[in-house]
Amino acid sequence: MSHGEADGHEFPPMSSVKRWFITTNHKDIGILYTITALFFLVLGGVLAMLMRVQLWSPGASILGANAYNQAVSAHGLLMVFWFISPFAFGFANYIIPLQIGADDLAFPRLNAMSYWAYLFSGLLFIASFFQGGTFAGGWTMYAPLNLPTYMPNIGGTTVVLALIMFIAAVTMGSVNFLTTMYRMRAEGLRMRDLPMFSMSILLTVWMMLFAFAALLAALMILAAQHIFGVTYFSADGGTLLWTHLFWFFGHPEVYIVFFPALGIMAECFQTFTGQRIVGRKWFVLAMVLVALQSFVVWMHHMFLTGINLEIKTLFMVTTIGISLPFDLMVFSLIYTMIKGRIRYTTPFLFSLGALILFIIGGITGVFLGAVVLDYEFRGTYWVVAHFHYVMVGGATGLFAGIYYWFPKMTGRMYDEYLGKVHFALYFLGFNLLYFPLFVAWETPRRVFDYAPGLTSWHQVASIGGFLLGASFLVMFYNLFKSMAVGEEVGDNPWEYSTTAEWAVSSPPPLENFEGKPSYASGKLTFREDPQLTADGSGDNEPTGTPSTDGGVQTESAAASGESALVTGPEAVASAATGAATVHTEEEHADHASFWPFVICFAGFLAFLGLSGIQDGGAYYWLTGAGGALSAVGFVGMAQESFHTPEPTVAEQWPFEGVENMKLGMWMFLGSDVVLFGGFIGSYLFLRVANGWMHWHHAFIPEAHVTLPGLINTYLLLASSFMVVLALVASHKNSKRGVVASLSLTWLLGVGFLINKGIEWNHLFHISTEAFPNGWGISTNVASSTFYLTTGLHGAHVIVGLIMLMYMIPRAMNGAYLGDDEVSIEYFGLYWHFVDIVWLFLFPLFYIL
Amino acid sequence: MARFKLYSAIFVVLMALSTTQAIVEETGMVDFDAPGTYWMAFGIILVLSFVKATFVATYYMHLRWEPRSVTYLFLGGLFVALALTTAAAYSIL
Amino acid sequence: MADIGGPVVGDTVLAGASGIRAPAEVFNSIFVVFLGLGTLVGVVVISYTLYNAYKYRYRAEKDPAPDLDRPELGELPESGGKGKKLFLSFGISALIVLSLVIWTYASLLYVEGKPTEVQQNGGEVLTIDVDGFRFGWQFTYPNGATTSTLRVPTDTVINLSVTSEDVFHNFGIPEMRVKSDAIPGQTTNTWFVAEETGTYTAACYEICGEGHSGMDAKVVVMEPDEYESWYADTEGSANATAGSGSSDGEDGGGNAIEAPSAPNSASGSLAPAHAGGAP
Repeated sequence: MSHGEADGHEFPPMSSVKRWFITTNHKDIGILYTITALFFLVLGGVLAMLMRVQLWSPGASILGANAYNQAVSAHGLLMVFWFISPFAFGFANYIIPLQIGADDLAFPRLNAMSYWAYLFSGLLFIASFFQGGTFAGGWTMYAPLNLPTYMPNIGGTTVVLALIMFIAAVTMGSVNFLTTMYRMRAEGLRMRDLPMFSMSILLTVWMMLFAFAALLAALMILAAQHIFGVTYFSADGGTLLWTHLFWFFGHPEVYIVFFPALGIMAECFQTFTGQRIVGRKWFVLAMVLVALQSFVVWMHHMFLTGINLEIKTLFMVTTIGISLPFDLMVFSLIYTMIKGRIRYTTPFLFSLGALILFIIGGITGVFLGAVVLDYEFRGTYWVVAHFHYVMVGGATGLFAGIYYWFPKMTGRMYDEYLGKVHFALYFLGFNLLYFPLFVAWETPRRVFDYAPGLTSWHQVASIGGFLLGASFLVMFYNLFKSMAVGEEVGDNPWEYSTTAEWAVSSPPPLENFEGKPSYASGKLTFREDPQLTADGSGDNEPTGTPSTDGGVQTESAAASGESALVTGPEAVASAATGAATVHTEEEHADHASFWPFVICFAGFLAFLGLSGIQDGGAYYWLTGAGGALSAVGFVGMAQESFHTPEPTVAEQWPFEGVENMKLGMWMFLGSDVVLFGGFIGSYLFLRVANGWMHWHHAFIPEAHVTLPGLINTYLLLASSFMVVLALVASHKNSKRGVVASLSLTWLLGVGFLINKGIEWNHLFHISTEAFPNGWGISTNVASSTFYLTTGLHGAHVIVGLIMLMYMIPRAMNGAYLGDDEVSIEYFGLYWHFVDIVWLFLFPLFYIL
Repeated sequence: MARFKLYSAIFVVLMALSTTQAIVEETGMVDFDAPGTYWMAFGIILVLSFVKATFVATYYMHLRWEPRSVTYLFLGGLFVALALTTAAAYSIL
Repeated sequence: MADIGGPVVGDTVLAGASGIRAPAEVFNSIFVVFLGLGTLVGVVVISYTLYNAYKYRYRAEKDPAPDLDRPELGELPESGGKGKKLFLSFGISALIVLSLVIWTYASLLYVEGKPTEVQQNGGEVLTIDVDGFRFGWQFTYPNGATTSTLRVPTDTVINLSVTSEDVFHNFGIPEMRVKSDAIPGQTTNTWFVAEETGTYTAACYEICGEGHSGMDAKVVVMEPDEYESWYADTEGSANATAGSGSSDGEDGGGNAIEAPSAPNSASGSLAPAHAGGAP
């Protein structure tokens, strides 16, 4: 049943280029992520090859020193950010909705936007190579080396901006996946029943939501230091501030990178041993523990920075502690093999290989947790070898995934013999490359000159590196060839697989399922889709006992009228007739949109412009063009019908009754809390470092008084009150009330900005003995923190006002009345959050 | 909705609490040369901010009428931010 | 813990005449234990893994458990049993790991506290300021002399007070197993005891720019009297910079110069950033 053409809404086929620019289907996006990630694997890998060539003998000069530093840094950044997680999310996008029984993710266009933001952020990174050289301070980007004084090349700034754009992609993705997994599970699929891969992705996105916000704070401050001249990281305590912010993110990041692989390993172990995972409940609990613990180990990257002994002890304990859940998971996988029916398929080989590599990597990590050992391992190849074993060990699990799901995604089987060849070369190359690095551990990191006695080990490593790289040629050849001439497969080529993606065709139909998946009977069945019954074109292929929904159908039709959240005529029509769901076939084609692409392209231009804006000229135009185009894009996207119908019957604990849009907004706000927390925390940290009271005496001018802050507090509180009144008016169907209150909100917000503008202007122009040239953004660390933090908040206000400028005209045309009040509610959530942040900024930056 | 009165009352409370914070400053408690008094004022003022935030979140953002899980989500972010700030600041004391 | 002034018989290797267990010894002994244990655990676990992977490879005619309930498509997840075995293994590994933590914690306390303890007992601690810059190291002695070669006497607690003039560096002497971050605007301390005379190399362990790979410094460990005479030579000269080659001390001057650990003194006049390291 091909559904596009029948209704005259043509969704282009896969062979059409246009399709790939407008698709919002999760499977398409999964494929886009996978391919793009593999491109970055090759790019990062080539950089690594260059390094290994240079390291063939000590003091080689294939690459100049600066070029080597760039290669090292770019290799790390590209692999960690642009390859490994996106590669995992290629699978997550494709497979998760299938595994949980959903038609797509909760927010399909947001999903497309998250892909395009990822791609363009990667292109931005590549551009940096051509702007005076890319970032050359290591992937850890330590201060003060990351500052304009030491990194004046524009390319350095571009990388920071590229990462910021990447984090936008990640945040959109995590909000999307979280909302989907909590709200769109099939009937009977409780949270604890999530398949292992879905479970691992769930925990991954939770970690992403909170961890990346901390990195975003660090990067925004760094970008501001490059572009606006704030002085955070050059002030007293600035260096340590960066390490805290970065590693608070950096440690959860390594689990973010590893968890999807762990999920795939669990799936593959189960499928290819024909045994259920031993102690599954404990395995899941262990993963949850690691996800939580990952946020309390970060200072083990800072043992030598002069932090006090008490906190070193605490973090030693937490670090060693985090190895324990991993022990349990490792044993669980091993025991799963016992009495199994193991088949040495390529996915299993890679999963088993991943397990072994992870065991080695994990053991060597325990060494690093013993502080006294870490004192010596710091900055040496022990660390390098350790993290490559665990992280590339993780990637090994992801390669298992590509072989495991290749048949599902393409409908053809890969060449098993070539798969094994790939594995053999890969495993050999891997260990030849990384094991000698343990032996040569005394080599300092990021250095191409080392003690001559270690030369032979480095040479073995370089050979291993090339072998590892070559193994990928086998993989690419295998996959390409098999796409064309591989043996065709049916729904399920793997015996003993259990998850829902294997219950549909290979590749799955566009809408994933014919009929509605349900686990209500204790196993997967497909109920008749009410909409299909109404259309009379039902084509059910249930795998279990078919069952009709009878009474549920009517309820669901009525329910869907409310929960579908479609504005305008459709909602009215379906509510009136009480007829079939709003989820019509036509809706699918409407999901396609080229605005995500346009907006992200605009973002690319804008960020590229910002990177060199201090140089002026073309960069100004780029920024302007990017900004203008993105405005067009956002309006265009807002005009489209944004809502995807929510599932009528779904497991939604613990967020029953919280519609997808609302939940998505709350998820986003949760991460925004951490962002502002990072900014406020930075201020508090720097103030402690500089002397709390001294800060006030030495850095703050007399002219900085409380009154403007108090007035702004009143204005913002009043505006929040207005938004709430708008909601009340909407309930009462009062168009005038809605327009009036939203307009007042807008005016109060503008008043806030004007008041702030006056205040800032005054402070910029004071001239006192202490501050002869005014109190500006670069004057001192207190002024920097003041302007940047309240400035970030002001930017949030501006965004809110722009949203209002879109909403008010629509309100004048009768929107947002009655059932449609939810848009005001969502806007209100954002606006009240912005208000709450100010409630803390006011005392911290004006009174105390 | 009947909530109009509730929202208005809360608005008044919020304005009053904000004014209170400014008054605390006016009393001179926020004295940068008198740590004892200063930190007491610090505590009072920040507690007031938390109270205001709680009102806004609970009523204006409707947390009162949502499943508890949403509150936990929001608090989770707050907890993460506080943990980072506290631990980092402690590490340099 | 060792007494000062005499070797203590025990089951640990002690430093030479100082009687103080150098961090290098601490590191080496812990490293050896971890290495042994880690290799043992790794070999056992990996062998066991491979053994099972091989033993249970599927052969239709030799199925060890033909009647076992196997996973089916569409089933809700359930556990595969064998929970007890899992907890046993987990318990053992937890025990091993926790013991390691407790043991290494004791050595952490030792390493952190030794210089202070030595001083409190009236022993001698030589404090040298280490300044990292792009791309070299400068050492400042208690008498204000500065060098770019680190010269130290054997069997003495050397306290390094490390900082940076520009970016984040890290100063480490591999043979002495001593290392410290060099952070601008703050000082971090570390210490070592050198037992054997000789020439060693210190390097930078945190990427700091183009010269990072070559940011070395020479470390010369001398007999105490040789050191004394060299040190006496530096008296009166504000700078004893590298290149001019500080002599190996011919003067007989036997001034007891070394002061107890000086407070973190500001360095003497600083050489501007120059490429390359020590001679």
